[in-house]
Amino acid sequence: MILHTLNAAPEQGVFQQCLGQLGTTDALLLMGNGVYAALDGSPAATRLLATGATLYVLQDDARAAGVLPRLCPGVKAVDYATFVELTEQFPRQLAWY
Amino acid sequence: MSAVKLLLVCRHAPYGNSLARSTLDTALAAGAFDMAPTLLFMAEGVLQLLPEQDPTDVGTRNHRKVLDSLPLYDIDQLYVDGAALAEYGLTDMPLPEGAVVVDGDGMRKLLQAADHLLGF
Amino acid sequence: MKYALLVLAPPGSASYSALHFARAALERGHSIERVFFLDDGVNNGLDTTVPPQGERDIPALWGAFARETGVELVLCVSSAVRRGLLDATEAQRHEKPGPTVTEGFTIGGLGLLLEASVASDRVLTFGGQA
Repeated sequence: MILHTLNAAPEQGVFQQCLGQLGTTDALLLMGNGVYAALDGSPAATRLLATGATLYVLQDDARAAGVLPRLCPGVKAVDYATFVELTEQFPRQLAWY
Repeated sequence: MSAVKLLLVCRHAPYGNSLARSTLDTALAAGAFDMAPTLLFMAEGVLQLLPEQDPTDVGTRNHRKVLDSLPLYDIDQLYVDGAALAEYGLTDMPLPEGAVVVDGDGMRKLLQAADHLLGF
Repeated sequence: MKYALLVLAPPGSASYSALHFARAALERGHSIERVFFLDDGVNNGLDTTVPPQGERDIPALWGAFARETGVELVLCVSSAVRRGLLDATEAQRHEKPGPTVTEGFTIGGLGLLLEASVASDRVLTFGGQA
């Protein structure tokens, strides 16, 4: 039960590192440049979906990046209140950047 | 000793930026706080363990020497990402005393066992 | 619940997120033990920052947050002084012209991060590039 936060584009090595640690009971929140991994039809989004983790994207960052209208259907856009709610549900957070 | 289990995830090489140094500073402070933190060196972070570091000419302190001093502060729970060691051709490298090599599952178990994670 | 936040990211998207998160956590009825700024994160408290017109002034926003909420913002002393972030005491000690830390921040040791971590139910790290 870990909430992973990923703040790096899919081409960065850290994307792969994060991917390797995602389990089905985990959640991933994409933020900053991490939001590009939520682009519908991208290999990054496909790989994230395959992990079975619950996927979220920070709405403000996704909107700023222009990703929101192209969001992969398996990824849910959330505001900061929901981000906080996620940290209530998940006792641990690991930041990837 | 504090019952809070703190895991420091060390993912950066030692000299490119100051994150690795900040990680060790945090570990040392946790040791002084009687917290006995656990350190997990993963991905690029395993490069912090190279034994032959000599940063004299780049004007900074020797990272591996600081690492080797951790047991003096009762920080002796060190785990190392085995796949990253292989990635860098470092499977034969002498590790700090007591360091344990772990695979992906081992790393996941460590992450799940901690109370708090600090991701450096 | 009690939260401790560790900000490693310099002023930018990630530290702005940390600030929004802190506000949202308080709004949901949680408390924040302390926000600790380490490594490049200490630049969030640099008072001499001048953002382009119309853009967010992150140190000022953090300062306002501290003023409104009373949440403690601490810059790691060793990360801070090497980056030129000095309070009045440090400026005097190192014989520099004057303090450079934004009002609302204090300078302190890493023990304050660990103390906050032990006292908190949740510890969140915010890292990233500017």
